[in-house]
Amino acid sequence: MSAPLEHACAAMLRRDLTLAWRRRGDMALPVLYAVIVVVLFPFALGPDLALLQRIAGGLVLVTVLLAMLLALDGMFASDIEDGSLEQLVLAPQPLALMLGMKILAHWITTALPLIVIAPLLAGMLHLPAAAMPALLLALLLATPLLSLLGAVLVALTAGTRRSGMLLALMLLPLCVPVVIFAAGAVAAAQEGLPWFAPVAWLAAALILAVVLAPLACAAALRIALDS
Amino acid sequence: MAKWIPLWLHKLGSPPTFYRFAGAVRPWAMGLALLFGVIGLYGGLVLAPPDYQQGDAYRIIFIHVPSAWMSMFVYAVMGVSGFIALVWRMKLAEVVAMESAPIGAAFAFITLATGSLWGKPMWGTWWTWDARLTSELVLLFLYLGVIGLYHAFEDRRQGARAASFLAIIGVINVPIVHYSVVWWNTLHQGSTVNIFGHSKMPWDMLWPLLAMTLATKCYYAASLCRRARTDILALESGKDWVREIAQAEAAR
Amino acid sequence: MSALSHFFAMGGYAGYVWPAYAVFFAVLIADSVAPRLRRRRILRDLRGRLARQTARERRSTSSTPAP
Repeated sequence: MSAPLEHACAAMLRRDLTLAWRRRGDMALPVLYAVIVVVLFPFALGPDLALLQRIAGGLVLVTVLLAMLLALDGMFASDIEDGSLEQLVLAPQPLALMLGMKILAHWITTALPLIVIAPLLAGMLHLPAAAMPALLLALLLATPLLSLLGAVLVALTAGTRRSGMLLALMLLPLCVPVVIFAAGAVAAAQEGLPWFAPVAWLAAALILAVVLAPLACAAALRIALDS
Repeated sequence: MAKWIPLWLHKLGSPPTFYRFAGAVRPWAMGLALLFGVIGLYGGLVLAPPDYQQGDAYRIIFIHVPSAWMSMFVYAVMGVSGFIALVWRMKLAEVVAMESAPIGAAFAFITLATGSLWGKPMWGTWWTWDARLTSELVLLFLYLGVIGLYHAFEDRRQGARAASFLAIIGVINVPIVHYSVVWWNTLHQGSTVNIFGHSKMPWDMLWPLLAMTLATKCYYAASLCRRARTDILALESGKDWVREIAQAEAAR
Repeated sequence: MSALSHFFAMGGYAGYVWPAYAVFFAVLIADSVAPRLRRRRILRDLRGRLARQTARERRSTSSTPAP
């Protein structure tokens, strides 16, 4: 009776992307936030080239992370409001897979613009061109990881009203290793050292998270919406 | 529930029985905690000789290390009872998990505060980004996240289950954080500090430490009993046996 | 220098050792006082609720035979 699984996945993805596209202004908000933060830092620290170069990689990573945190809160918000998330829980399709699609859509709409703009931000801080591939690769691996980890926490707070600060508090312990390895890769590339190992660790963590996080997200959502 | 669980455990799972049981255990646990505490503090502050390197400053170890152990032990208890609460939906496991969190947070805070008070005279700094310190800080944040999530829900049992889930995620997270910070430290050539410079502790320093460890364990048991009793009263406030307690307390 | 003041001086580290012990005891005392206060509040609220309930019942039983 139910449509084939891939149709359901595609429909889910298309729906979320369409909804995001109709509210393009919201999509631009994290990008604008990241630009503002990166512009403010040189004013606070002074235009010292060597200093900016040294902190560029870490600064861009942390800025992207915070910008993602800004958007994370709204991952399931509208779906909880209009009740479509409860429909999804009751749907015959596996909830974890559907949530995985939602997370993918959220990553495309919030993290991908940030990755696109990241070279510009890094350039403003004079990150050496040699470290740019490492930065992009680290971001490409770290941002989906953060989306997946964040989705579990967003699902846990689905039954509560205000969750902005709480989400940040809960995400901090989880994102410490991600930041360490992503920034480690960039720092190693900047010093001309091999940076494959931290990127490989990030990739391994991402593969684990792609499998486990949607399942955990589904379990968390069932707990949080169960009443 | 499965048949292999003995009957008394089933009975203990009922709130009034557990309320009485915890009430009976608490004074003993508190008494033992005070006894071990007095012995350990006397041994640690008075009898133990000053350290040949650190002088008398090392005496912070008698509260710092037991608190650090307890902050991890309490987290393990919280994770296990949170798991039981999620799988078997036992009300009592939820109570134990959620009432452990503030105690664990208290121990984690003590560990960080005493650690920085110890670090200042020994390393010349209040804080260093060492793997052990950073993991302890992350542990404190995990505790705060669990407490915050628990209180964010209007329905207490639902909040307890969500927070238990977060606690289980944290159990996986803590070792990852620890090893990633170790890796990070080797990358950045950070200050390599070793609090336990001499791995072999002389006996007259070791036994007060063990006594203090027992004291903090007993204190945790006592505090958990008190907190669980209070929480059960709040959860069961509509029931007759709680009303009787309320009336009896008013008569006194 | 007496033995007692020697003990309190902690070999010159008194400024670190005693605050550490103070933190330890202050936090644990706060931890054990908090549930005691909460228990008192819960039972007081419960008694208030019971009193209101019995008052309402008395009023309704006294008012029903009147009309």
